[in-house]
Amino acid sequence: MMESASRLSPSFARPNSRVAIRSAKNYEMDLSALLVETLRELDLPVRGKTVLLKPNFVGPDPSGTINTHPAVVAAARESFLRLGAAKVMVGDGPALERDTEAIAESMRLREYLGPLAASFVDLNLDEVHRVPLRAGASSLRELYLPDTVLGTDLIVSMPKLKTHHWAGVTLSLKNMFGIVPGSCYGWPKNILHWAGITRALLDINSTVRPHFAIVDGIVGMEGNGPIQGMAKPCGVLVLGDDPVAVDATCARMMGLAPERIEHIAQAGLLLGHIREQNIRQFGESITSVRTEFAVLPEFRKLRASA
Amino acid sequence: MLALAGGEERLEAESATMRGIRWLLAVQLPDGSWPAYPGQDEGCWVTSLACLTLHQLGVAPEAVTKGIDWLGDAWPGEGRLWQRILRRLSSRPAVTRQNHSLRGWSWTRGTSSWVEPTACALILLHNIFGPTLPRRLAKRRRLAEAMLYDRMCPNGGWNSGNPFVYGVAGEPLVGPTVWALLALQRHQERAENQRSLDWLASVSERTPGPSSLALAHLCLETYGRPTQELEPALRRLYATNEFLQNIPALAHAALALDPTRTWLQVSTKGGGRS
Repeated sequence: MMESASRLSPSFARPNSRVAIRSAKNYEMDLSALLVETLRELDLPVRGKTVLLKPNFVGPDPSGTINTHPAVVAAARESFLRLGAAKVMVGDGPALERDTEAIAESMRLREYLGPLAASFVDLNLDEVHRVPLRAGASSLRELYLPDTVLGTDLIVSMPKLKTHHWAGVTLSLKNMFGIVPGSCYGWPKNILHWAGITRALLDINSTVRPHFAIVDGIVGMEGNGPIQGMAKPCGVLVLGDDPVAVDATCARMMGLAPERIEHIAQAGLLLGHIREQNIRQFGESITSVRTEFAVLPEFRKLRASA
Repeated sequence: MLALAGGEERLEAESATMRGIRWLLAVQLPDGSWPAYPGQDEGCWVTSLACLTLHQLGVAPEAVTKGIDWLGDAWPGEGRLWQRILRRLSSRPAVTRQNHSLRGWSWTRGTSSWVEPTACALILLHNIFGPTLPRRLAKRRRLAEAMLYDRMCPNGGWNSGNPFVYGVAGEPLVGPTVWALLALQRHQERAENQRSLDWLASVSERTPGPSSLALAHLCLETYGRPTQELEPALRRLYATNEFLQNIPALAHAALALDPTRTWLQVSTKGGGRS
């Protein structure tokens, strides 16, 4: 894994993070060109690396409102290959639906990626190894994690821009729950809820650090996410080299205060930046793309205006 | 192994099964449970499957008995006293609408009851004991069956185990629906079973996943509902994505194509083990 990404350091000892907000009106446009341009701008070291794209595939999604859209996944794969990546795999371990192929087919993933046997890994069923957890935030101490995840050079967390009925929002940090294999921990991975969502997220993201994040905000989800919310067209892709900063930026775009979202606030202590002055912004400004997301009454306190 | 046991007898299948039996016996934990992977020091949901498989193969009855003893003692976490007190004292409105006193089995030790591990444990108990269970297992079965009905989605079918979240009805999924219906076979005339079968029948032919397709077919046939021919559909799906090299999907397909399904039959011995 990349050395810089495996280090845990307090925010004052870390260089500023870089986050780009790119306008992307729909899934039919040339997303690959947009991503290549942005990845070049952010100067991500990709050449010769093995890359794992970790989208958020929650359940069957024929309407394209729940899961990371396959057009974004395919564009990211093409972009990393164009920039010299040695190999790009796509992998996820859905939390609720065991039949991952049913999810993939329902969202037409094969139309975008080609035959899935060669390009897609079901992380729920991959071979696993025991990994001690680094942050010690939860009572878990260790997890068995997929070999595909442990063996890759560069992990790209690719969530959809959504609210979440347990965690407030589900973005690039929460998306990493999907690397925990169902074959060990079940569907859902209830052990993570019992360990505390925030603490488990800190443990997972400190142990397997996503090196980059690409958020599908072309159409997001508001309200009772991650499955039963309403589609929220936002017309953006958000990219960055610090998943915590990316999530903080997304939260601000959604009209929420990242420092009030427990897992993002806690991640801001050791894993990345959440303060705007520590995030170098590229592309569109937050103000120009900000759009209030509806939230469940439980989460009204997360609003920036609350 | 369960899937191979139903197929035509072939040397490689026998050899794989023998290796599988040796491996299962080697990784059983001292408390009788099985871990999901060797090296884990806690048993989990796969214990039901391991017991069912060994029982079906007619081997290692002592290991099966130890596994069942462990299942009898493995209560999910939501019933712990402090959990009940916390729920009673909490001023927060309930996010989910379900009866936490009805408990089944969890995926991993000390977590909540969910549909699939509960259903697998019930299938095992039916297969081994039939209708007459030892007293403490009879209590577990009564609670677990009630829990499954409590967790059914309002219009039939099951998801992993949350029929309502924030007042919104959950969408059923094929897998949990099949496992719950197979576990509740002895109540097959109940309206909940029939409504869930109706839902399953309505989605079974258009499910794009091999595992879901095979399981739905198996369940509908078990309940005597009409089905379409399975093998051509599975062949088409295999040609598309090779089932993502997914061993459980291959096993589900093999189980669905095997008409004997002794693993789903209810024992007529009645209380053969204690």
